[in-house]
Amino acid sequence: MKTIFVTCGATVPFPDLINSVLSSEFIKCAVENGFTRIISQIGNGYTDVLAEQVTKLNTVGDYMCHITAEELGCKSIACSFKLESNGLQFIAIEYSSKIEELISKNADLVISHAGTGSILDSLRLSKPLIVCVNDNLMDNHQQQIADKFESLGYIISCRATPSSLINGLVSIQGTTLKQFPGSRNITFEYKLVETSYSL
Amino acid sequence: MGLNITYLFAIIILVISVFLARALFVLPFYRLNYNCTDNNDITNNNVSDEITRKKIEQFTSKRPLNAFIYLGSGGHTGEMLRILSNFNETLLKKGNTLHVGYSDEQSHEKFENLIKSSFTSYKDINVKYYKFIKAREVNAGYLKSLESIIRTLLSSFINIIEIKFEMMGKPHLVLLNGPGTCCIIALWFKVLDILLLFTSSHIIYIESLARINSLSMTGKILYLLADLFVVQWEELIRVAPRAKHFGILV
Repeated sequence: MKTIFVTCGATVPFPDLINSVLSSEFIKCAVENGFTRIISQIGNGYTDVLAEQVTKLNTVGDYMCHITAEELGCKSIACSFKLESNGLQFIAIEYSSKIEELISKNADLVISHAGTGSILDSLRLSKPLIVCVNDNLMDNHQQQIADKFESLGYIISCRATPSSLINGLVSIQGTTLKQFPGSRNITFEYKLVETSYSL
Repeated sequence: MGLNITYLFAIIILVISVFLARALFVLPFYRLNYNCTDNNDITNNNVSDEITRKKIEQFTSKRPLNAFIYLGSGGHTGEMLRILSNFNETLLKKGNTLHVGYSDEQSHEKFENLIKSSFTSYKDINVKYYKFIKAREVNAGYLKSLESIIRTLLSSFINIIEIKFEMMGKPHLVLLNGPGTCCIIALWFKVLDILLLFTSSHIIYIESLARINSLSMTGKILYLLADLFVVQWEELIRVAPRAKHFGILV
């Protein structure tokens, strides 16, 4: 199943990203590009808000989710449904304790908030990555880090609106992103050892 | 009588100047030759990785390493754990002792998961935990933060003394990457270095990957205290000329 994995980070909810992902324009675009499933980590405490939104969508009544909470690395699945119009599956969890395994096994594309941890997770697993900056956060580090990684050619950066996300999705299909280098820096490791074993 | 006071005075001045001289020696900020000290081949990239690896092996095969790491919570813990697994061959080598400082249970749990989940020889390292009280809760009032800072200062001093004496005389390393509590930890290590005269704590500070153009508050303070100050983006060298850049480490 061609899957988009969406992560909002665990601590701060990112409603604009979820709304953009659930927008009919974006879902249409995703389906056109061959995606059949979206798995999303929505952040702690966001289940109720999402459930409210989902009632407005046209979903298939008797849908069965074929992935277990255990596999997703969480206690319970926040919500899961299948869209009536195009059959796209959507699975949401609040927080996954084994996000790396989840990404490496299931994701063909990752859409992530601009936290360094989430960015590094996907890049290390060599997954194509769209980074979405949260404009509502007070610190501008996320913007800086997204710009920096984009200028180095590792990611595509976008804003949390349906149109910007669609642009990102379209442009990531046409480009090959640069492979992220490993972090075992031997010079630094020598420096660590030299410092430790000095007087 | 007057003579005695003069003698006493002279002794006091002597003692003070010994400790002052020691302080100048310990605080890297005053080391004028700091940039000239590592003109060796390895840091200048003239040596192949293979030879460097062998040199590392020579060091680490002799005696196990004692490292203190501080898990700062959230993103700081995340970056520290990445550093541990990236440099596991040195930091988590069989026989090592790892002193782990933490303030929240989540970090503690994440660290244990890392050690347990690894299939290799991580079981053969000794781990000791030290709980630290957080320096500053976000959004706390001034009086409240002052009180908590004093409490943190005292309780962490006891931890640091214990760690310091465990590590002394063995190859050792203090690895910090934020947040605020790290300033207190580094400060106490340096105070002990000054008082004990013949020891150095080998403090290495690694600035967060999120910092591209400016240092964090903790970074600014640790810039004055750390023996090796590492930044992950080259741009930061302009702001912190004494810093070292090895690329992304997390």
